Amino acid sequence: MPDITVDAISKSFGGKHPTGAPALADVSFTVRDGELLTLLGPSGCGKTTTLTSIAGFQQPDTGRITCGDQVFFDHAARLSLPAESRNLGMVFQSYAVWPHMTVAQNVGFPLKVRKVRRPDVRERVRQTLELVEMGAYAARYPHELSGGQQQRVALARALVYSPAVLLLDEPFSNLDAKLRERARSWLKQLQAELALTAIFVTHDQHEALHMSDRILVMDHGRILQAGTPEEVYRRPGSRFVAEFLGQCNILAGQVTAPTAHGITWLAVGPARLPLAVAQDVRAAGSVEVAVRPEAVELSEHPLDRENALTARVRAVSFLGDHYRYELDAQGLPLVATSPRHLPGPDISARIPPGACWIVSHEDGARSAKTANDRAPEVTGA
Amino acid sequence: MISLTRRPLRSASPGRRSGRPENPVQALVWLLVLACVLAPVLPLLYASVQSKPIYDTGRVFSLSAYSQLFSDPAFRLAARNTAEFAVITTACSVVLGSCFAVVCARSNVLGRRAYGTLLAVPVLLPPLGVILGWNALYGPGGYAHSFVTSTLHIPFNLNSVPGMAVLGTATAVPVVFLVCQAALATMDASLENAGRSVGAGPLRVLRGVTLPMLRPALINSGLLVFTLSIESLGIPLVLGSPVGHDFIASYLYGAWSSAASPDPPLVSAGAVVLLAVACVLLLLRSALLGDGARFVSVGGRGGADGTVALGRLTRVLLGVLIGLYLAATTFAPLLALAVESVVSQLTPLVAPWHLLTPANWAAVAHGEYLQAIRNSALIALAGAVATTVLVALATAVAHRSRFTLRRSLPFLLLFPRAIPGLIIGIGFFWSFLLVNPPGHALLNSIGGLTLALSIRSLTLAYFVLSAAFATVSTALDDAGRSTGAGWWTTITRITLPILRPAVFVAFILMFISILNDYDPALFLTTPGTTVMGVAMLNAEAQGVNGPVAAMAMIQIAITVTAIAVGGRLFTARIARRGRA
Repeated sequence: MPDITVDAISKSFGGKHPTGAPALADVSFTVRDGELLTLLGPSGCGKTTTLTSIAGFQQPDTGRITCGDQVFFDHAARLSLPAESRNLGMVFQSYAVWPHMTVAQNVGFPLKVRKVRRPDVRERVRQTLELVEMGAYAARYPHELSGGQQQRVALARALVYSPAVLLLDEPFSNLDAKLRERARSWLKQLQAELALTAIFVTHDQHEALHMSDRILVMDHGRILQAGTPEEVYRRPGSRFVAEFLGQCNILAGQVTAPTAHGITWLAVGPARLPLAVAQDVRAAGSVEVAVRPEAVELSEHPLDRENALTARVRAVSFLGDHYRYELDAQGLPLVATSPRHLPGPDISARIPPGACWIVSHEDGARSAKTANDRAPEVTGA
Repeated sequence: MISLTRRPLRSASPGRRSGRPENPVQALVWLLVLACVLAPVLPLLYASVQSKPIYDTGRVFSLSAYSQLFSDPAFRLAARNTAEFAVITTACSVVLGSCFAVVCARSNVLGRRAYGTLLAVPVLLPPLGVILGWNALYGPGGYAHSFVTSTLHIPFNLNSVPGMAVLGTATAVPVVFLVCQAALATMDASLENAGRSVGAGPLRVLRGVTLPMLRPALINSGLLVFTLSIESLGIPLVLGSPVGHDFIASYLYGAWSSAASPDPPLVSAGAVVLLAVACVLLLLRSALLGDGARFVSVGGRGGADGTVALGRLTRVLLGVLIGLYLAATTFAPLLALAVESVVSQLTPLVAPWHLLTPANWAAVAHGEYLQAIRNSALIALAGAVATTVLVALATAVAHRSRFTLRRSLPFLLLFPRAIPGLIIGIGFFWSFLLVNPPGHALLNSIGGLTLALSIRSLTLAYFVLSAAFATVSTALDDAGRSTGAGWWTTITRITLPILRPAVFVAFILMFISILNDYDPALFLTTPGTTVMGVAMLNAEAQGVNGPVAAMAMIQIAITVTAIAVGGRLFTARIARRGRA
């Protein structure tokens, strides 16, 4: 399967975006063969516009989209391949299963459009329905199916003609929580087995982390960060990314001792508590540090290593497999999770230096807030 | 697990420069609609500024037709009559129609469900049948005339302008009722419930919440009724003209059919004046309501169901009153017509069972009448098929394509509604004369009639289909495109099949509308190509009442059958689909 390359596409709609940003601003990325790439972001971030631009339902104002050596869209050459000629498979948020056709007719339609011989149509429809475990429902009409089954039909319809790339537009958003969990695993497994190249749009961070080979985090029509789920989660490129993916403590502080040897010392919070961070910062200035709640170590006994703080429990809630603590750590508000229930109200908390990640660094006038593919290069001038 | 082959099934097609039509059909449909809409209008404008009829030689550009028209006292009188008729009809029908709609939608009046349908259905009845029924019942010498004037002491004269306005009101009430009913159905009743929860009584809520929110619907239906009233032709032709009360439309028809030299420019000038007024009203309507409001879509349910519980007596009394209204305006006239069709003479002086005769029905079974029935059925069937296909495609181009000129289509499709029927008749007459071929072949043929009558009804199909298209998610189209289907395949295999019920309703509406229409045909029929409405008007003018009543009954029977069959199939399909 060919790579999809999106090169510097922009799009703005007649009226300006409420925030003043265009719908898409200079978006570029490449989807590699066999990869499942997720476009992740809040509503209105431009992820669906990107997907529909690739599918051909919208035309960007600028830029170029190619699939292998085939040009889908090229603004400079005033070229746009019609959606029906792009040979992509798409699963719609509403599934868009045609209500007047049976399951088999829905799945067979793309083959009929391609003038496949009748016996071959029947055979491929059967195979594909087996693949999505819907073989028994071939003669049913969509209104006789559950949401999860309709979604499988939509997927079968998008797969039956072996499209170059599979586009998935929030396919799980209409399923209930339990079903969504199962559908995710199933689709991921199917994608891996068939080695499908897929672009997946979602606003659900769990879905993105679960399914993706690579995640593109978008906001206000821009790509904020691209990386594997682990990279994006553990080393967020900006405060927005850190907060959008899961829960996060953001600690504001000052660099007290710039260093290039693995450990930097900061002064954080109103009490200017000393905090060691396992990262090189070669210039002074104010920083924001992201700390995941599950990375904070909690104990009812005093901890005596670096970054240990005494903490008072402000609130605790039971969430099934863990407890969530809202702490006041020597004036520093901190959220932490633990599988254990700790007798309060005074406990010890420790933030391991390796669990701290600097998401922004203001070095005097120059801002190091980055919006590129990588975690910030926190270096001096 | 089965693995799918990785070989693509179709090699990629070359790219296309943006902006071109996706399919030649789109441009073709647009051109066809444009031609159909302009065909009756342009030649008319041209004919109105000529010194002599178009077929005469030695014509010059001249505005004399207009000065002649405006200086004719008969025209000025007709204009005054028309205005009086339109104002009374509009005022009365808006008040009555909206009251009925509010009472049926928001109170527990006796029989509210049945009235919800019964008050709306007369909109589909053949207008000429209703007029003739009224004439038989309430006209001078009519069956109920002496009851109304002597027993009830109401000085009612159906042949006067206010008398005709009463009939006009009765035919316009269903229009207002439908528009208000749709508005009330989409209006969330919890807004009204909120008013009552803060302590306002039902009447206070009606005044403070319901009526202000209904204002767009009232303006919309009021302007619609006013437009329909000023172009009204059947009412003055049957009731007014014989006693000298002409309207603009009947004045023009009289001038057309009785002038020394036929088809004088004067008639074209008058038609242009009427068209201008209708266009101004249409523009006014869209300015006041915005684009969206013109497409009233029935069916959206409000959040809560709010009904005011009336007192037991009020509930029954109101129900009986509405029932009496329906009986007096719709059922009694139709009954009178039915009786008239089986008696030699309908008169209050002799009991009808003494005058029973099969002669009227025998008369319509052959000769000119039978020919007219055949022609009407043929025209309605062919016209309905052609119009439904054209409008379905045009709506698809307008709402589901990237064709550059698609945005002009909704206006083009709405425009025929603003053109009075007689203008379509006169306009097509001129365009058949001017554009040859194919004009002369169409001039005295069924084909020409079909064209004129179809274009007049086109907008109705667009109303139905545009509302239907709006209910089908574009994701269903996009899904078709993404699997490789082009515009044509997507529209014909996915979108239109999903819309089958709506397409069918549009077809039935077209059929009824074309079958019962006669305004344009008055100017286009020749002895061999007459249609039911024209045959009935001609016979009625000669005082032949029995066969006319029989013809009207046939028209009503076909209409009711079509509605019943259509409604039944439609609800069956909806039910099957709705089981989701």
